[in-house]
Amino acid sequence: MVEALGNFAIVWLDPWLLFLTAAGTMAGIYIGAIPGLSVTMATSILISFTFKWPVNDALALIAGVFMGGVYGGSRTAILLNIPGAPSAIATAIEGYPMARRGEAGEAIGLTTVMSVFGGFIGILALALFAPVISDFAILFQSRDYLLLGLIGILLVGTLSGESFAKGAFAGALGVLIGMVGLDPMTAEGRFTFDTITLMGGIPYVAAMIGFFGVAEALVQLHNLGLPVVKQKIDRIIPRLSDVKKHFWLAMRSSGIGTVIGALPGTGGDIAALLAYDHAKRSTKNPEVPFGEGAKEGLVAPEAANNAAVGGAFIPMLTLGIPGDAVTAVIIGALFIHGLKPGPLLLVETPHLFWFVVGSLTLANVFLLIFGLTGIKVFTKIVECPRAILLPLIIVLSAVGTYAIQNNPVDIYWMLLFGVVGYFMKVYGFQVGPVILGVILGPMMDANYRRAMLGARGDVGTFLWDFVSHPISLVLSLAFVAMLLSQTPLWRLVTSRRHGPAT
Amino acid sequence: MSTQPGRKPGELVFALLCCGFGVVAFWQAFGISGFGGLTTPGVFPMLATGTMVVAGLFIIVGAARRGSERSGEGTMSRFMREVLPLRHCIMIALMLAYLVLLPQLGFVVASALFLFATFQYLWRRNPLLTLLLAGLSLGAIYVVFRIVFQVVLPQGTILGWTI
Repeated sequence: MVEALGNFAIVWLDPWLLFLTAAGTMAGIYIGAIPGLSVTMATSILISFTFKWPVNDALALIAGVFMGGVYGGSRTAILLNIPGAPSAIATAIEGYPMARRGEAGEAIGLTTVMSVFGGFIGILALALFAPVISDFAILFQSRDYLLLGLIGILLVGTLSGESFAKGAFAGALGVLIGMVGLDPMTAEGRFTFDTITLMGGIPYVAAMIGFFGVAEALVQLHNLGLPVVKQKIDRIIPRLSDVKKHFWLAMRSSGIGTVIGALPGTGGDIAALLAYDHAKRSTKNPEVPFGEGAKEGLVAPEAANNAAVGGAFIPMLTLGIPGDAVTAVIIGALFIHGLKPGPLLLVETPHLFWFVVGSLTLANVFLLIFGLTGIKVFTKIVECPRAILLPLIIVLSAVGTYAIQNNPVDIYWMLLFGVVGYFMKVYGFQVGPVILGVILGPMMDANYRRAMLGARGDVGTFLWDFVSHPISLVLSLAFVAMLLSQTPLWRLVTSRRHGPAT
Repeated sequence: MSTQPGRKPGELVFALLCCGFGVVAFWQAFGISGFGGLTTPGVFPMLATGTMVVAGLFIIVGAARRGSERSGEGTMSRFMREVLPLRHCIMIALMLAYLVLLPQLGFVVASALFLFATFQYLWRRNPLLTLLLAGLSLGAIYVVFRIVFQVVLPQGTILGWTI
């Protein structure tokens, strides 16, 4: 316990780590706020620059960027009606009407306090539940990891995309990219076409930066000339009565955020929308109707999306399954630093776990400070035209990809993935499942083969194992339910139950 | 985005390409170890690429069912307007040129050229102002990444002396 506290406090006492967390949070707020820059994009580029650093330094910076970035999207949502990130879509619905009434300062203040509140709940859940889940996860067998990987990829594909087939395709494409190179078990080449370049595999940082950085920049190229609206800022510190009044809503929303964040594959964007929906249903008599600047509609999504940050770390650190796209990138960072996220992480490197908790908490404190200050300067900076932003993203992406292995081939991969990712985005594919596939593919392959070897290559025994062990049974049922819910049969049943569709 | 009335121009072609890519990849995966056993290196790649083929078929059916939007405009001109406008083609070409030149000219020269060209193309202001902006932003990137983060930047084979 004392040791845990010590590791928790490292980041609070070391001036350099304090600075990195502060800088990360500050940068995160701007990255999250500037439309066209996403936290996932920033983290993937950041990893390529920090992989030579000590792991603590890198994690402190990334924790700051993550926390700040999830919050930052709300600022532009309120001031400009452009959600800086998908997790701020609901915030824009209520925040922008407030800004139009001249209450932008108040909206930002309330958003900040509630984001920080949600953030703390998420971190608390991480600190309390991760060790419990980790103990439980030691009981997981290879087949359970295979199922978790499949569920994770499918969840991202179904919950955030427009079509199940597109999600499944994207996930499988990611697995394929992850398979390229020498097979870790038998050293046979897979998809290498007998070329040396492909034997080492396709670097997943190149895939990440391509799909999240370059592809997004190309998508943003469509909206070069969006108009800029000026805002005046007055009151920023929220009224205590407002905070008190919305306390329980914030509490419930944080709960929703933590759980959604902890589900493999779903992150802050879905958490925010669900919490917004919850606020809409549970608030009987809002002072201002929803859609016209209801404070409840600001509190719920903002508390939820920051709570999802702590939640997303739970499966990533305990099971090695990322909770959302950003943690999928962070898990890549941990691999680069030679760590193995999974049930043994808390046993083998408990200091790392408590360090993560500590730096997230610290980032949350900085969020409160930076969130309530510097808003005037902020409005000037987010007005930076995209015509300038986009070329800079490309340069940063290229340098970031190159920095990993100093290999020019990697940047061609990046461009290829960027262009493919652009077309995928245009035609309604999600790129999140691709990255999850790249990260989880090799893990699922190894676990599948281990499970099959355990069953001595007998398909009957292999399948029986999936239903004869309690943990596997629960996961198998979840997996089957997910598959069934995508079939026409399921839709028929639910529409019967709810009456004919209108 | 979820209630799209018609399919986007080129969507069906893209779906066919996806499925076709899946078939080729499956054939490659089959080539790894065939159907020899259940724990061979080729099994999981075959599962993944098989999923791609099946999902690809569903995507084709979905795209075909939605039907294209009927308008006076031809599919090709809509494709050029909505999916791949000239601006995108030029940007991708500039990016390709940048990535090809990067290892040869080195980071500083190649990035300076790329930033100047793209700023000028997208922003369309006075070239002097663009030059100044390109110089300033490149300087900032250089200081942050080369000096603070100590990242190794491409040096360039032709102009090796330009750091």
